[in-house]
Amino acid sequence: MDKDIILKVSELDLWYGEVHALHQVNLPIANRKVTSLIGPSGCGKSTLIRCFNRMNDLVNGCRISGCVEFHGENIYGTFADPVDLRKKIGMVFQKPNPFPKTIYENIAYGPRIHGLKDRKELDRIVEGCLRKAALWNEVKDRLYESAMGLSGGQQQRLCIARTLAVNPEIILMDEPCSALDPIATSKIEDLIDELKKEYCVIIVTHSMSQAARVSDYTAFMYLGDLIEFGETRQIFENPRKELTENYITGRFG
Amino acid sequence: MTSGKESILRQNWRQRPFEHVMHMFWFICAISSIIGIFFILFFLLCDAFPAFLDIGFIPILTGERWDPASAIPKYGLVPLIAGTLMVTIGAMVLAVPFGIACAIYIAELASPRMRNVLKPAVELLAGIPSVVYGFFGLIILVKTLQDLLQIPTGESVLAGSILLGIMSLPTIISVSEDAISSVPRYLKEGSLALGATHWQTISRIIIPAALSGITAAVILGIGRAVGETMAVIMVTGNAAIVPEPLWNILSPVRTLTGTLGIEMGEVAVGSLHYHALFGVAVVLLLITLLINLAALTVMKRIKNSQTGGEGKKGLIPAFMMPDILSGTSRYLPYIIVVILCICLICIGIWQGALIVAIIFAISQIIDILMVRQQIQRLWFSIITGMMGIVTIILCLILYDIFSHGVPYVTLDFLTQSPKNLGRGGGIFPAIVGTFLLVTGSILIALPLGIGAAIYLVEYTRENFLTRIIRTATDLLNGTPSIVFGLFGFTFLVLYMGFGISLLAGMITLGLMVLPTVIRTTEEALRSVPDGLREGSYALGATRWQTVRRVVIPPSIPGIITGTILSIGRAAGETAPIMFTAVVFMQRRLPDSVLDPVMALPYHLFILATNVPGARNNQYATAVVLLILVILIYGVAIMIRYHYDKDTRW
Repeated sequence: MDKDIILKVSELDLWYGEVHALHQVNLPIANRKVTSLIGPSGCGKSTLIRCFNRMNDLVNGCRISGCVEFHGENIYGTFADPVDLRKKIGMVFQKPNPFPKTIYENIAYGPRIHGLKDRKELDRIVEGCLRKAALWNEVKDRLYESAMGLSGGQQQRLCIARTLAVNPEIILMDEPCSALDPIATSKIEDLIDELKKEYCVIIVTHSMSQAARVSDYTAFMYLGDLIEFGETRQIFENPRKELTENYITGRFG
Repeated sequence: MTSGKESILRQNWRQRPFEHVMHMFWFICAISSIIGIFFILFFLLCDAFPAFLDIGFIPILTGERWDPASAIPKYGLVPLIAGTLMVTIGAMVLAVPFGIACAIYIAELASPRMRNVLKPAVELLAGIPSVVYGFFGLIILVKTLQDLLQIPTGESVLAGSILLGIMSLPTIISVSEDAISSVPRYLKEGSLALGATHWQTISRIIIPAALSGITAAVILGIGRAVGETMAVIMVTGNAAIVPEPLWNILSPVRTLTGTLGIEMGEVAVGSLHYHALFGVAVVLLLITLLINLAALTVMKRIKNSQTGGEGKKGLIPAFMMPDILSGTSRYLPYIIVVILCICLICIGIWQGALIVAIIFAISQIIDILMVRQQIQRLWFSIITGMMGIVTIILCLILYDIFSHGVPYVTLDFLTQSPKNLGRGGGIFPAIVGTFLLVTGSILIALPLGIGAAIYLVEYTRENFLTRIIRTATDLLNGTPSIVFGLFGFTFLVLYMGFGISLLAGMITLGLMVLPTVIRTTEEALRSVPDGLREGSYALGATRWQTVRRVVIPPSIPGIITGTILSIGRAAGETAPIMFTAVVFMQRRLPDSVLDPVMALPYHLFILATNVPGARNNQYATAVVLLILVILIYGVAIMIRYHYDKDTRW
């Protein structure tokens, strides 16, 4: 497993103003696997995932110490540029957030801002990404209609397709199914299974069963501490820590 | 259901006569504000009618000369409309780019601390009375232009445009800043998460999403510029001519509002000229109605698109336009630039065409040579620079007035009557007059306005009546203040026989601030979540109990803010009281409400335009007026910010 570490978090601390939200987190993330972060509300799992593409930079009064290495390079280093980083590490949010543009423009937005102008190439990317996100058949006749007209599940898959269009290496998913119904959720889960062939996926989820279904590795967090990390099967079947066991078995949460 | 239960229900309902009294009370408030509004329209139209009858509506609109004083009087509005248009367009050319840049700066670039300073500062600026701007324009701006451009007089379209541009900036900035900040955060995050730079996110996601709000801001700014009277009279030269050639921005012009402000005081009541002036007012009203309707439509679209509907119609397709166009042709920018250049060359400004072409060429070169992080830095420095320029200009205005005026604001100045046509002595009667006018107008507007708002929000569903009230208040809100002055003159001063008096002034000002009171109260009441009302009703409370105990207490800060803003507006306005309440050189205080008074803004206006050699007292009066209004607005802003922190639903 050591060879294929794409993202390595070491001794990460994070404060929101005076609040110490993450304590000394250490976590290796394997490439082309699905890693899930679980834990009760407010445990810092969303905060942690937002550290990976520096979305916390947007939060006022947020301070970080420690380091997150992407391919061995600290993304909080002096010369690291969050803009270029986010091109490599894409993110899908809790609530589907398509831009108020056409479906086509939603996908083409990423390549365009990175300087691609060739129309044919854009067409190819849009189709490819929509196919990968299993959305092509549903929207191919309405590419030039508003993305706001899609259903919630379709919007979320559109957001995933939009992330794929900039060709990232890691896809972060912050509770991608929490705003969706069970059918849409299972479609997203199938999609995650497909995606891990090419990408590294990190997913924050409230649902333990979802973590058990989709992920290869699971990290359990509690009150800003990373309690336990390991293969999903081991975490769910044979947790080492009592806290983990209590959470998994539903004694709190 | 048994009849026994029914009779209990009916009995309880009958046992509450108080409920009905309150209902009737609020209804009467709502109805009387409508009546007030329709009186205004009715009397203006009545007085304008003879002119339209005598000359004809079309000849008035298309007449090429406005010359009521010549042997054969001519009443043509073309030069006046041209003047209004030119000054307004000029103002917008200056104010729109600066306003939007400042809005972007405040919403996106400023640090939180900076934003907390800038936002209230912009709101304060919106409160500076127009006569103070006009005074600055007359004393400094006109002289500067004269010296700088080597022209005989600086009173010109250019001066008017600059001044109106500065005056409409606060409106444009604060409304577009609101629009930009209310773009949902998740859109911004979505764009940044794809690796877009901050500038790419602003220019491609945030600005398009806020576009309708920005449009509304610009339209409101236009409304402000079109309706402005005092500042325009003081700096545009007031010659009723169509400039030759049309784009000669150094020519003096006269606007519709200016004509009313200048001629209304001297015209013989009942003459054709008098009626023609009312014709001018009606045309002015029509123009502002159109502008306001446009703003309202845009605003309504924003609301629709925000409250779901995920519009197939309206807002969203408007955003799609650029998408579709960019899909069909990426040569579009080139085409637009070429068309613009050809247009400019056609009307003879080849220099303009050249500038456009050069700017476009530079932007293309930058696009090719620079990476996007550098482009972002370039744009951010341009925006910061523009913010800096605006700040410097406004500080300059305030500094000039305060540095010249403060030394002359002494205790004697505040407590004595004016001497020697205001060159000496003090401004005590003016202070008292302003105080009385403001108090009276608020006493009139407050009960009516708050009552109407309560009726609208709490006692009715959307129906024909509420729609009328709402439309009427919205339209009245944008009506130029001089139009209120005309109404006050014809209805209160002449028809009701109050004469030029405190009472007429109070009622005119009261009507003017009524829409503000209704609007802000409505907003405050609406911001109370329905859940609270339902909670109260579910406990068996009556409507009035719910309103009094649950709805009104949390909305009091909002209502107070609205009231204070109205006080500030009433204290600073000149145009509505010019013909209804004030006389220059009223040395004693009024004995009754039927006596005329003096008021600070009018005093400053007369000193600045008609009394040479009163420079010290002009500045001192401006300082007193400015401090008064800033204090009033400052209190309102502080109350709002204070409660904003406390109440979050």
